[in-house]
Amino acid sequence: MVRFENVGMRYGPGPEVLRDVSFALEAGSFTFLTGPSGAGKTTLLKLMLIAEPPSRGLITLFGHDLAVTRRSAFPALRRRVGVVFQDFRLLGHLSAFDNVALPLRLAGRDARDYRQDVEELLAWVGLGDRMNARPPTLSGGEQQRVAIARAVVARPDLLLADEPTGNVDPDIGQRLIRLFEELNRLGTTVLIATHDRGLIEKAKAREMRLVDGRLVELRAQRP
Amino acid sequence: MSGERPGRIMLRDRGAAPLDVVIGVMAFLAALALGASLIADRAAESWRSGLANRVTVQILPPEKSAVSLDGEVEAALRVLRAAPGIAHAQRVSDQETLNLVKPWLGADALIGELPLPRLIDATIVPGAGVDLESLRSRLKAAAPDSVLDDHTRWIARLRTLARTISWSAYAVLLLIAIATASTVAFATRAGLEAHHEIVELLHQMGAHAGFIARAFEWHYFLATLAAAAVGALLAAGFFVAAGGLEFAGIEPVPFLPPLSLKPAELAWLLAVPAAASLIALVTARLSVLSALRRIY
Repeated sequence: MVRFENVGMRYGPGPEVLRDVSFALEAGSFTFLTGPSGAGKTTLLKLMLIAEPPSRGLITLFGHDLAVTRRSAFPALRRRVGVVFQDFRLLGHLSAFDNVALPLRLAGRDARDYRQDVEELLAWVGLGDRMNARPPTLSGGEQQRVAIARAVVARPDLLLADEPTGNVDPDIGQRLIRLFEELNRLGTTVLIATHDRGLIEKAKAREMRLVDGRLVELRAQRP
Repeated sequence: MSGERPGRIMLRDRGAAPLDVVIGVMAFLAALALGASLIADRAAESWRSGLANRVTVQILPPEKSAVSLDGEVEAALRVLRAAPGIAHAQRVSDQETLNLVKPWLGADALIGELPLPRLIDATIVPGAGVDLESLRSRLKAAAPDSVLDDHTRWIARLRTLARTISWSAYAVLLLIAIATASTVAFATRAGLEAHHEIVELLHQMGAHAGFIARAFEWHYFLATLAAAAVGALLAAGFFVAAGGLEFAGIEPVPFLPPLSLKPAELAWLLAVPAAASLIALVTARLSVLSALRRIY
């Protein structure tokens, strides 16, 4: 599904943010990515969603070596990835419904086909009555749930989430993790970057830890 | 990628009024230039058709007093009326001759004292192919002070003038097209900068460059169409007002063709907003695609 081989990343002439990172995410796996702030978690996620090219090393995504893949093929690869950004990155001029429906629109789906799916998903994340609200009128936690709904609505092959439960209370956090687990059971490969030890301990997932740009495998997925 | 319309995904531009004003003014100038070229073409055609089938014979006041001016006029008229291909020949009355020189010399009473030439206006049968050299020599023999003018020199000069005006107008149109494209390219880059978060998000979510470009090109197409339509309408108003002045008997510039446009010619001004909006559409698309190529 995802393979990194000796990947290094630096921004401009600065120091390397990631050094010799090698790992593989198998199809259908559930993984936590942990590490202190500034360890390179967000950069690692950016490389996985083809937002930046690595400075060195090889990245293979869905069987495509990105170094030799034509750039015209990137949009189709990106549409197979659902992302929950740390800063949500919702479109403030669109309603919660339209924000969630965005990946489906980009995939060319007709509004009549996806209306029910989007409404059900918004209800599941507890925003059934805020569908027409615009993000600036939503609380931080509500915005985060919209961002999560947007990331999962198209049932992506790979779900990347950067601190997805950082702004919600523990109950909602657990509910969202159950959503990710449900998606994972349906076949989506999930990688969650988080500081939330409680979340990690409750799950039986594999944990990878980044320290100073180097990857340390802490725990394999428990049965 | 689907034919999904991206219009609602993009935020409507605010503060784009200066762009609309610039495009409106440029469309106004473009429509004036286009109108000028239409007027020049029409004038050239009317001058050509007005003079092409006519010749004028001037009988200059004879230097030898023994020769009668009126006698030479009668002799020249006889030659012309007998010449093959000449449909009609008529002496221009003294009053008409005075009227012709009035615009240059004024209506002073002294004008009557001037030794004005006598004029004969002759019409050629269309397509008759009159041998002007032979006619000229026969006229010289009958009326030694006669000068045959077939207006060729004038027609050539007027054609050159009209062609110069037309090409100048086309050059102005080209410059305005370049200016419009540059303005829209600048505005598109500013728009991309203003909406870079939306553009980057769509890009990272797997939107094709063409999808994002469509959002911008459609926006600038409509904005330019509206602004340029206003500019062209103002220019049309100018030409209609000029026609109104002529109708009221006020001639803006003597000897020059009327500055008004006929309804069919006014319709040509619609080409200005159509062309401007197409230029805007293509420019916006190319600008966005070029900018997106720089994003990984």
